[in-house]
Amino acid sequence: MDDIRVLIVDDEEDLAKTIAERLEIRGIHTQTASDGDKALNLIKSQPPDVVVLDLMMPGIGGLGILKQINLLENKIPVILLTGYGSRERSIEGMNLGAFDYVLKPCNLDDLIIKIQEAIKIK
Amino acid sequence: MNEKDIKFIGKITAGVTHELNNVLASIREISGLMTDILSITDEKSFPRKEKFQTSLGKIQNQVQRGVKLTSQLNKFSHLTDNYKNDIDLNELLEHLIFLTERFARIKNVALQNQSINQTITINTDPLRLQMALFNCISYLLNQTVIGGEISISPEKKGKECLVSITYKGEGINKLSIFKDSTSSDELLSLKSTMENLNGVYELDASNTAVIIKIQSNK
Repeated sequence: MDDIRVLIVDDEEDLAKTIAERLEIRGIHTQTASDGDKALNLIKSQPPDVVVLDLMMPGIGGLGILKQINLLENKIPVILLTGYGSRERSIEGMNLGAFDYVLKPCNLDDLIIKIQEAIKIK
Repeated sequence: MNEKDIKFIGKITAGVTHELNNVLASIREISGLMTDILSITDEKSFPRKEKFQTSLGKIQNQVQRGVKLTSQLNKFSHLTDNYKNDIDLNELLEHLIFLTERFARIKNVALQNQSINQTITINTDPLRLQMALFNCISYLLNQTVIGGEISISPEKKGKECLVSITYKGEGINKLSIFKDSTSSDELLSLKSTMENLNGVYELDASNTAVIIKIQSNK
């Protein structure tokens, strides 16, 4: 898994960084962003293989970021992180082309499986 | 309390449970990271490693418990979203039992969901229906000295839905169970709630049961 690069986007910085650290221990390279602007800058400057994206965020929100990612020439699979009351947004996200979604708090092993599956179809 | 007040409470509760979920997610990941680090740490360089691992496991279990509770509370807060909604009665009863289990446990009473395999859909006010059912359970619990079982059985008869809340056990005196029913807070509340739902309730002393009847509108 040494060559996998994942961007985790969540305004809960502690959560994003801890998930990143745990993925790093498992040999996955990670970056984190706490808002849409930072995320889109990182996606353009150092495109990741997969984006793990929180739906409920201030500003343009997860769906706004997803729409921007969809406009990029190189398609990057997106896994949505969803919480309570985000069911409709998750469905909208899937309709917008997200690869899959996981419910917060997510099981790390499940997330890794989804990351690997997302890379396979890339 | 009017509809706007209820929606306000629902919205605030939904928002807070969403944030609580983020707190629990962070605790879960931080304790998960500590477990990861411990697993790659040599036993000799970390005294009482096993004790730490066990304690981290306990944190994870409590997080799971917290997630379940906040998830159910969030679901409850969303009952206020729509005044009328299509609801799956079996699902609503399952949710009700989760929310009322604590009150039953104090009286050492077990709650049993006797839902049938058939899906029963009702178009009604989900919050008021929960409130009506809660009042039935609450009434029986208040009449119970201690112990026994309360079963909740849904049934559909044509366009009408019935939910029977029945006490089984030795903790209630069948002869006096509904003696002061007209002055009981729970049954007074049940009466007005059922009126709002365009339904009725019946008391069945021989079976120690409260039955609510409501039109399914489906």
